[in-house]
Parts: sequence; C-alpha cells; structure tokens
Amino acid sequence: MAISFKLNNKETSLDVDPQMPLLWAIRDYAGLTGTKFSCGIAVCGACTVLMEGAPVRSCVMPVSAAAGKSITTIEGLSKNNDHPVQKAWIEAQVPQCGYCQSGQILSAVALLERKPNPTDDDIDNAMNSVLCRCGTYPRVRKAIKLASK
Amino acid sequence: MKANTINPKISRRKFVALSSASSALMLIGCVPSTGKDKVVNLADGGVETALNQFISINSEGLITLYNHRPEMGQGTFQSIPMILAEELDADIRQVKIVQSEANSSLYGRQMVVGSHSIQSEFMNCRKMGAAAKDMLVRAAAETWGVQPADVKAKNGVVTANQSGKTLTYGELVAKAAKLKAPENPKLKSVKEFRTIGGSFPRADIPLKTDGSAKFGIDIQVPGMLYASVQRSPVFEGKVVSFNQEEVLKVPGVTHVLKTSRDLFGNREGVAVLGESYWAAYQGRKALKIEWDNRGLDKISSETIRNVYLKASKEPGDVLHEKGDADRAIRNASEVIEAVYEMPYQAHVPMEPMNAVVDVRADSAEFWGSTQNPNGTRSYLARFLNLPEEKVKINYTFMGGGFGRRSRTDVAEEAADLSKKSGRPVKVIWTREDDQTAGPFRAASVNTCRAVLKQGKIEALEHKVVAQEIRNQSGSNNKAGRQLMGGVNTEYAIPNVSVKGVLQKHHVPISYWRAVYHSTNPFAHESFIDELAVKAGRDPLEFRLEMMQDHKRFKRVLEIVDQVFNWKDKPEGVGRGLAIAERSGAHFAMMIDVERNGKGVKVKKITTVVDLGICINPDTVKAQTEGSIVMGLGAALYGLTIDKGAIVEQNWHQYPLLRIGQCPEIETYIVKSDAEPDGAGESGLPTVAPALANAIYDLTGKRIRRLPLDLEKLS
Repeated sequence: MAISFKLNNKETSLDVDPQMPLLWAIRDYAGLTGTKFSCGIAVCGACTVLMEGAPVRSCVMPVSAAAGKSITTIEGLSKNNDHPVQKAWIEAQVPQCGYCQSGQILSAVALLERKPNPTDDDIDNAMNSVLCRCGTYPRVRKAIKLASK
Repeated sequence: MKANTINPKISRRKFVALSSASSALMLIGCVPSTGKDKVVNLADGGVETALNQFISINSEGLITLYNHRPEMGQGTFQSIPMILAEELDADIRQVKIVQSEANSSLYGRQMVVGSHSIQSEFMNCRKMGAAAKDMLVRAAAETWGVQPADVKAKNGVVTANQSGKTLTYGELVAKAAKLKAPENPKLKSVKEFRTIGGSFPRADIPLKTDGSAKFGIDIQVPGMLYASVQRSPVFEGKVVSFNQEEVLKVPGVTHVLKTSRDLFGNREGVAVLGESYWAAYQGRKALKIEWDNRGLDKISSETIRNVYLKASKEPGDVLHEKGDADRAIRNASEVIEAVYEMPYQAHVPMEPMNAVVDVRADSAEFWGSTQNPNGTRSYLARFLNLPEEKVKINYTFMGGGFGRRSRTDVAEEAADLSKKSGRPVKVIWTREDDQTAGPFRAASVNTCRAVLKQGKIEALEHKVVAQEIRNQSGSNNKAGRQLMGGVNTEYAIPNVSVKGVLQKHHVPISYWRAVYHSTNPFAHESFIDELAVKAGRDPLEFRLEMMQDHKRFKRVLEIVDQVFNWKDKPEGVGRGLAIAERSGAHFAMMIDVERNGKGVKVKKITTVVDLGICINPDTVKAQTEGSIVMGLGAALYGLTIDKGAIVEQNWHQYPLLRIGQCPEIETYIVKSDAEPDGAGESGLPTVAPALANAIYDLTGKRIRRLPLDLEKLS
C-alpha cells in the first residue's frame, strides 16, 4: 500500500514496505540524496529531516510514521540555497567533507525556530548529538550565531 | 549523471586529450595535451578549447579548471584551482571548477594521502597556469603585431601596453591553442601573488549546504542492485556455511553470495543483494552463518597489550642513531623511564564505506568515494583481467576519508558481486561494519628512557612497539623506518637512539590521519615534558634550548612564548605544550585546561603552524581545527578487542567528539615564502601530549595510557 506525505511541499506517494525507514524511502525511492545515512541508530544526526518543522532522525523512523505529515529535507529548505542558515553556513565556511551538513543545518534551523537568539549552552544542547568527523564544530557555532542576527 | 561542478547549469563534458602530445611542455608527472582534439563543441553552440589538461576556456571567456585530486573535505577542490588561477591570471571567483577524470598518464598520481596534494602539485600547477597564460599572451601579441613583452594579462583579459587595446581569454583561446606550449614558462615571484594566500570561499561549500553535492553513496545506476555484506566479526574468520535458500525468500532479495576482499589477508563475508538497500539489509539480518574462526577468537586488547609490553623489553631494531645512547644509559647512575600506550582507532568517516561497480562483458565502471582513483583503476583492471583503459573511474566527493578510502577493498566487493550477479551493484557498509571490520590505526606501546646531565638531556632512547602498515605479513620481522614516524629527532640531544620492535598479527591496520604521527608524539612529547619537570626547567625554555639551530621549531616556540604569553598563565589553569612536524608542517600547540567538578575541562587549544606558503589560509585553519577535534577524540576514546573482534559496535560505544566538548581553538599561521608543506594533519599529533602535559601541570597526575578519562582526574 502506498504511503502518502508531503515532501518539500509536494504531495508524494511511495509504494514501499511501511517498515522501511523514512531515510531509505526518501533517498532510494523519492530520489532525494541530500539526506544521509551514517550510524543507522539515531545517534549521529546525519539523517535529520524536519517533520512538521521538528527535527527527526529518519534512519530509525518507519516511513509509515510520515503518512499524512509534512517532511522537509535539505533540498526543500529553500529554493536558491538562501535560507538564513544556509547563508550563514556559507559565510562561515562551515563544511569540510560536507556529509553531515544537511543534518547540521536542519538541526540548526529547528533550534533557531525555537530560540531565535540561542546561548552557547542552547547551541551545545541542541547540536550535541549531531556528529561531525571533520570537526567543523567551531564553525557550526559561529554560523548559528551569524544566522541568529 | 551530474558531476560536481560549481556551475550546475553547465553539464560536465568529456575532456579530450591526445596522449601523443608534443613534448614541448613536460612537467612533473604530467604531459599537457595539444592538438585539434582539444576543441570541444558545446551543446549550446559555443566552443571550449583546452590549453592543457588543467585549463579549458570557452568562446564566452568562461574558464574551466580541472581539479585532478579527489576532495574529502581537505579543500584542495578550491586550493589546486587557486594555484592554476594565480599563474593563469584568472579571477578565481569567476572560474568553473570540474573534477578531472582519473587518468595517471594525464595527471600523474591523483591519490590524496599524507597531506601531499598541495606540496606535490604546487610547482606543477603553477607551470600549467603559467604556460597557458604564456600562450594567450603570445596570441594577443601576434594579433596586434607587437612583442609579448608589450602586453599584459590580468583577470582573463590581455591588454596592449601602448595602444590600450584589449582581448579576452575567450577571444584569444582558439589562436593560443595553436601555439606551442613553452617548456619553461616564467613564473610569478611570491610578491606578485594575488590569489595564493587569499581566503577565497570554497567552491564546493554551496553544494554542501543544499544537498546537491554527490557522494559515492548517492550514486544511482540503472538496473543497480544493492548489497549488504555480513563479514566475519572475528578478523579472518572463514565462511563454512550459510542459509542461502532461506534468505532468498526475504522479499526483494535477489542473490545471497559468498564474497571476499583483500585487506592484508583474505576477509570473507556473505553478501545479500536486493532491489533496494532495505530489502538487502532485511535479508542480511536473516542470515545464519557458520564461521571457522581458526582459533583467532582468543585474542583481546589485554593479550595484545601483554605481548607488546613483553616485546618492549627486547633490544629492537635501530631505526635512527646519533652518538651512543645505549652506552650513556648503561653507564648512568640515574635513568628516567616511562611507558606509554595507545589504542586502536577506527577512521569512521561520516559516509560509511560504499562503492558502485558495473562489470560488463569487456569493460567495467566504478563510481564512488575514493582517495585512490588510479589505484582503484589498476586494482579493478587486475581483478577483472581487463586492460586499464577498459576500466572507467568516476570519483565523487567523499564524506570523509582520513586514510580509510586509500584502500581498494570495498571496490573489490562491489566488483566481485557485480561480476557474479551480472548487474551493477552498490555495496553499502553499515556504521557497525565500518567501525569493526578495519583497517585500524595501529595500537602502540612506546618506551622512553633518558639520562639528564646538568639540567639537559644527555641521552634519549625511544622504542616503538607496533604493527607496521607496510609489513603486515610475510617473513621479514625487521622493523622499518615507518614505525618511527613522529619521533622528533631534531632536538639537540648528543645521544639519541630510536628503535622499533615490529609486531605481526592479523588485526588489519592502515593509514589513519597523521599515521604514526598520531601515536609516537604522545610518548615523545610527554616524555620531553617529564624530563623538563625532572630537570626543574620550564617546558618551553627546555625545548627552545634544544631547538636553537632549528629555525622553524624555534620560531613556532617563540611565537607561543611571545604572542600567546606562555609564561603568563591565568589563575586556575593548567597549561601544556607539545611540538611536532607532520608532512613538512612544523607546529607548536599550547593547551589550557581547568578543573571541572572532579574532572578536567579543555578550555583552549592554540596552534602555531609554519607550513610554508599558505594557499588558502581559511582552509588551513579549517584543517587545523579538524585535526584538533579528531586528535582530541582519539585522546579520549579508543577501540578494544575481545574474543578476536572489536567490542565497540557503533558511536554510542565509540564516541566522536561532540560540539559541547569542543574547546576554543585558535590557529596562528606563520608567514613564510618557502614552498608549501602539508596542511591536512598538522595539529593532530600534538593534541594528546599537550593535553597530558596540561593535565599534569594542573593536577600533578601523569597520563601515560590512552584513552584518558577527563572525568576521573582528581
């Protein structure tokens, strides 16, 4: 049975195993590869997408849980790479390899929605479970502050 | 398939080059292309002309620079084109950057390891840029009937000095391409650099903020199957039997096949192939495999440790010798000794290992994240018994590499499974696979002994007990010089002996960021600190005195002292110092720690680095920040082995450093006109020793075994 949800503001219907994680449905069936697989157990945040505006880990969420919901991936964050958080990310030259950055950016977007002027502690708390092996953390912090201005 | 370019509106075109190129311009490892095939007709009616294999210009003046080194985060995607643009006199902000093909006859060695790309390509890329500019300048001079000396090139435009007439590179390129490339093009002086040394924004970054950058794992090929492989948890366990029939019943599963990969020994596994990754993974979970562990399930970190500690009592093979340290130590009334231990580490790049290979009747094609495009090509050619020109390598952005992606074992799995299934196959490793299968950063025991005389080091012996990457099997048991990487032999100590005791066993190891420079300096720089304390000397003064004849170490130490006020330590702060060289870069690191409840908190890490000419200072800073975060993580966490297998399965057990643990980081780049050194690992070797030295300064507790626990230091 097809599962329907709104993906980046577009009605989407995918005929997949309802238990398949949302991550693989988005990547392999909807063809949007900006959302990344990394740990598979919801500890690194590379697969973060926004569901009704809140960050969720798509690697452990069955696609059936997205039925009827609105999902935003990195591809849907803005039309021209110009969301304030994306602009701040480019200004602070955050990414190195870039693989975790969709998850970093979407987690930061959700943080700034809740707290438009986050403190250092707010940033640490919100971003502590979004891992980066390249070590872009000092710039993630800088970019979030830039975006909050 | 869309390639990674900075201008997605222009699709990637095949770059045509003649291998029968004239020898007019023979450069290091590269033969430039000339001849009529270099003109490519574009779909939009325009024409793009190549001046050599790095530089093409279209009739509209758009300059395309071919970057021939894979990008894994290190930033050469921007800095190699910056070198080309400098000598070409093109505006780096206006060019298009395209990854070149994997072709060693055109581009020489394309492997990205050891922070070598910039140092080995600096002169080559300058000459390529200068040669192209020379041809454009001569074309302009010829057009106007003046001498080349009477025209000037700047930002893609050539101007006649007297008449003020101008022609753009786009207007000149067709004519320029017909000219002979100069053998020794004139290069700029360092003073004339306008691009090199500028923190130009990286062209790959916007692709990494909107999800459009393509990594190996993102590749989709028509007809492709997905594969998930259950490998032996015990290193080198062999497959005895598996429930093929049962797993084939799992919906979406198409094949269940035994496979293997060569990684310093044959590593077997059972692959489940399916129409989706999820189906293949479900099938894998249904596997029941009987393994023959061949007695290898008895080893553990403790058994390995005991063997290494025992081996450290052996004399070892001499790797470096100055004076007679043995005699000085034998005859001394007091010998200072310390033993340091470091665990195995995994690379765990954020993008798990993966590869797509399509093996056809008489050719093969690879897509994926690799640090080693030429090696993958020749490996697959050998494996599939094909001529190299029948193997096409499409290398993508890598989601991190750190040395792991210099190996070709994952491509081998995909090739094996594509050959067996007759379909293109994408193998995706899980995080657990990646963390537990290896290869790893080698574990190590280092023993140091020294004699002090009147507050100075009279003799020092440093012995390294570890596996060696280049010698993991076979009958040669002599330690090689690779083992002593990172042991600093530049200190002015009269008697020095560096020894190695080679260890050989079946835990696979490989290059991990900074390699032996990620382990040995922990011992060496901790020990130097211990000796300074014993001698009652200031650790910086102690080092500086021994580096008076070494300009670069002397300078970075003096900057730590004078610019960062080494001696002016704030109240409640423990301060540690370490110095090291890696890939030509010389650096000093100062770490400040403070008490945090019962433990210690890392407050600030300051690095002073001298790496010659800096192509892109912001990229060097980013690389130093990354090296520090990785080095700090490796000081705090490590892998353990039990029952012949890695214990820590995923990041909940083998953590990466988190943002909340990341201290303030400051990087000071020493101004220099010397040729560039490597930037990708500088800072990593010094983190563990500078941290241990800072902890000692604060608490009086000496850490000699990693990983260390910052929570338990009171």
